[in-house]
Formats: sequence, C-alpha cells, structure tokens
Amino acid sequence: MRRLLVTLAAGALMVTASACGSSGDPEASDSGSSSDGTTTVKLGLIPIVDVAPVYLGQKKGFYSKHGLKLDISTASGGAAIVPGVASGQFPFGFSNVTSLLIAQASGVPIKAVSNGIASTGVQSKDFAGIAVKKGSSVKSAKDLEGKKVAINTLKNINESAVRESVRKAGGDPDKVKFVELAFDQMPAALDGGQVDAACAVEPALATIKSQGGQVIASPLVDVAANTTVALYFTSTRYQQQHPDLVKKFQEATAESLAYADAHPDEARRIITTYTKIPASVLAQVTLPKWPAEPNKASIEALAKLGEEDGFFKKTPDVDALLP
Amino acid sequence: MRLQNAALGAAGLAAFLTLGEALPRIGLVKEAYFPPTSRIARAFADELADGTFWTALGDTLTGWALGLVIAASAGIVIGVIVSVVPYLREATASTIEFLRPIPSVALIPLAVLLYGSELRSVLLLVVYASFWQVLIQTLYGVQDVDPVADETARSYGLGTWARIRHVLWPTALPYVMTGVRLAAAVALILAITGELVMGAPGLGARIAVAQNSQAVPEMYALIVVTGILGLLINVGARTVERRALAWHQSVRGEVAV
Repeated sequence: MRRLLVTLAAGALMVTASACGSSGDPEASDSGSSSDGTTTVKLGLIPIVDVAPVYLGQKKGFYSKHGLKLDISTASGGAAIVPGVASGQFPFGFSNVTSLLIAQASGVPIKAVSNGIASTGVQSKDFAGIAVKKGSSVKSAKDLEGKKVAINTLKNINESAVRESVRKAGGDPDKVKFVELAFDQMPAALDGGQVDAACAVEPALATIKSQGGQVIASPLVDVAANTTVALYFTSTRYQQQHPDLVKKFQEATAESLAYADAHPDEARRIITTYTKIPASVLAQVTLPKWPAEPNKASIEALAKLGEEDGFFKKTPDVDALLP
Repeated sequence: MRLQNAALGAAGLAAFLTLGEALPRIGLVKEAYFPPTSRIARAFADELADGTFWTALGDTLTGWALGLVIAASAGIVIGVIVSVVPYLREATASTIEFLRPIPSVALIPLAVLLYGSELRSVLLLVVYASFWQVLIQTLYGVQDVDPVADETARSYGLGTWARIRHVLWPTALPYVMTGVRLAAAVALILAITGELVMGAPGLGARIAVAQNSQAVPEMYALIVVTGILGLLINVGARTVERRALAWHQSVRGEVAV
C-alpha cells in the first residue's frame, strides 16, 4: 500500500512537472511592473478572427512600444469575459456591443476603452450574414416570417440585428422563430434542414457559402452604416486606478487596429497562429473592418434596438459606456 | 481466455473504425461534418507532432491530477471525521444531499467570477464534482464496519486512532477505492468541460478553438485524445484499485479462478 502511494505521488508530481509550461499564458503574472518599465496586463478574449489586430499588434511590437506586455487569456465565449473583467480577473476584455450595453444597463461597472471590430458596411459582403441553404425558398429577410432562424445567443446582438433586417425588409420580426445554436454548428444544421436560416459569422459563413449556401441579408449592415460590433473594455475601477495603463492600451490598440485594417494579408496570416482555420477556408473568409474609433451612432442604434426588443433592465447609458 | 478477450476487443475496435471510415465515404453522413477515420487519423498525427498539443495535454492532466488529489484527500478525511464524530453524520446528511446533486457545470459562472479562465477555475469544478464521489463512498464504507469487529477491538483496548487504522480503514478501503475510481473519471470529464466552456488552457480549449475554426477533423482528433485519456485513466484506476485491495476477497476471488 505504501509503495503504491509513493508511486501515485510520483506520478502526480511528474504530471505537474511536465506541465510547467502552460499553453494559455507563457509568463502569467498579474499586472506587475518589471524593472524595464513594461507592465504585463491580462486581456480576456475569444480566439476568433475579430481579435487578429491584437495578436498582430503584439507581434509588431505596438504594445511593447507603449510599455505593455499582453498576457492573453482566452475564453470560449463572451459570456465569461464580462464577469472576468468586472471582478478584476482580467483588466481588459473583448465583447460585443449589445453584451456590454446589457451589462451596463444591469449596473455592471464597465467602460469601453477602444474599438473592437466593425461591419464592412457592404450588403452581402459582410463578415456576418443571414444564410440559407442552396435552393431554399427563403429569398429575403421578409421570408423569414414563420421560419426557424439559428443565432448564436438569444437576446443579444445578432437577434437585434436579424430582427432589424426582417423589419427593414417589411416583415414582422415577432413571427421569426429564433433558436440558439453555436456558430460552428450552423453549417451542418442548415445543411441538414434543422433550421431554415442561420445568422452566421466567419469562418462558419465561408463554410456555408462553399457548400452553395446563399447570403440573403447582412444584418449588421442593416443596423447602421459601419456598425461597431464589438469593443475592448475595462472595469470602471481599473480605469480609475490605472488611467495611465488604460491610456497606453488605448493607444497601442488604436495603432494595432489601424495596422491590421491597412494590412489584411498580415492579419489573415496571424489568424493561423491562434486558430485552426484551414487555409482553404481562411482564403474565403471576409475580414471585418478595424477602424480605430467606435462609431457612436451605430452603438446608439444597437441600444435603441435592444431597448425595443426588451433586452435591457433599464436604458443603457451609451455616453457613460464609451471612452 | 485473456487472449481471446483481447482479440475480441481489437476486433470490435477495428469494426468501429471501419464503420467510421465507411459511413462518410458512402455518403450516409456528410464528410464535411463527420470526416472518415483516415482523415481523423491524419489530424491526430499532426496533433502529436505539435508542441502546443503536449502543453495543452499537460495542462489538462495537471488540472485532473491536482483536482483528484485534493478531492480524494478531502473526501476521505471529511468522510471519516463525519462518520466517527457522534451526531455529525445526522447533522450533515441533509446538507450533503442538497449540495451533492448540484452539477459542477452550473458553477462555471462562479468559477469565472472568482478565478477567471485559468487552472484554478478548472480545479474548482473538478474538485467539486469528484469530492462527493469519494465522500459518499467513504461514508458508506465506514457504515459497513462490522460492529462485532469494532466491539472486539474496543475490548482489546484499541484506541480511537488504532480502531480507525485497523478496523475502519480496511473495511472502508474497497468503497473508497470505488469512489476514487469514479472520481478519476468524473474529474477528467469536468477538467475538459471546464476548459471547453471557460477557455482555460488545456485540451478542452483546443477543442473549442478547432470548433470555432471549422477545423472538423482536428476537433474529432482531439475528441479521440480525450477518449484515449479516459480509457487510460480507467485502466490505471483499476490497476491501483486491484493492487491496493490485493488482500480483499473481491480481488482475491478474481485471481484464484
């Protein structure tokens, strides 16, 4: 029995030792300053196409130039990031605008610091789209009445946007049946006929298109011209305590966004380092726009839509949320 | 007998793999969503050649091992204390029955709030889920102590510690071992689920990235890895159990045949 316990303990030690290098955070530490004046800050994000500028900016040295070292924590969904930032687990996070408005309206103390991504603003050529199967009888957003439409999260940005598309096409959004489905499962669900349409983003959208699916509307384009879709944000407490770090993060992120927007090929290449998108799919992916500044009018439009659709406990304060 | 079992097992696996190859090839399921075995095998080989895969595997195993050790030690110690101290069992019974069925996954928002998406949040889930397995088995094990044996030990003047060591522990050990074996499997499931849902570093997070990337063969390759891990852990736990209980009639009976 004793020998057994020793073996077990040794095994556990070995496992721990072999895992010294963690795949998530190479040099994990809280926001402590090191001697050369660089500060390590944690950033919580979802490893998707949208956040390419941050990875690119890190590689290009835009963050280190401003004295920041990013320690990226990946989360599988935006839902994990807002509480993580609010509770101080990560000083900075990435989340979509409606999620931030919902959080702000519920009294979660958060503050946007920098733009995240924006729609391309071009109908049928956006990184998000309402797609239908090849040969579907659904030809426009109005035809979605009475149909089953897959969206990634109910009562969030994509529901707002799809409802707006239906409304703009002259349909009644209340007649659309929304079902919740992860983006990556949408191509199969559409193909198998479990849903009539899906509001998908890249790279799932590229997969759908490669199977002959048709994009019938670009919901984020219908919300506003050049809709700001997601933002980088921090907690109000962190902003008060470390205004200098927030400012550095803002400047470095703005630079990274501008660079990625101007160099889409480099952005595409960096995506292969943190996702597993196959090269054949990546070539077909429509990249979002990465303007340095958020478009306030579009955020107000999303706030108004969310309000109409009843997502908020009370009216969110867009001015208080924005930097 | 043993050889025949192994041959049958291999044949079953081969049939399963062939089926996995054939179904997409003949078009019963779409190749895009369910790649054939050979394609998954290729992605699997690519994974094995990738250094980041091994760190992810290490992360998952760390979460699993630490979580299991914490849960098992806590479960055994608390289980013995609760059973030995008078009235404690009765006083805690309803609380335990209330807490036990709470699915660990429901604690994900709490874990994220407390620890963000890192090892500690995975540990919270793993420990919570596997602790009850060990605790309940320990409680049952201690209850199973033969009162005559206990009385005999008492009349021979054995103290509390000696009775725990020589009467209670040998009786409870088979139960505890069952608890640990169940906990080992549950711990792996929760470690991977936690990583998958929260994004804490590990195999689960890697599966999530593959899913988000439309990299279907890679996703299945990683799922195969988790299956193999589960299999190894189960075999390992059974070996440990058999060796720890080599003296016990349930194991001895098996060997004597």
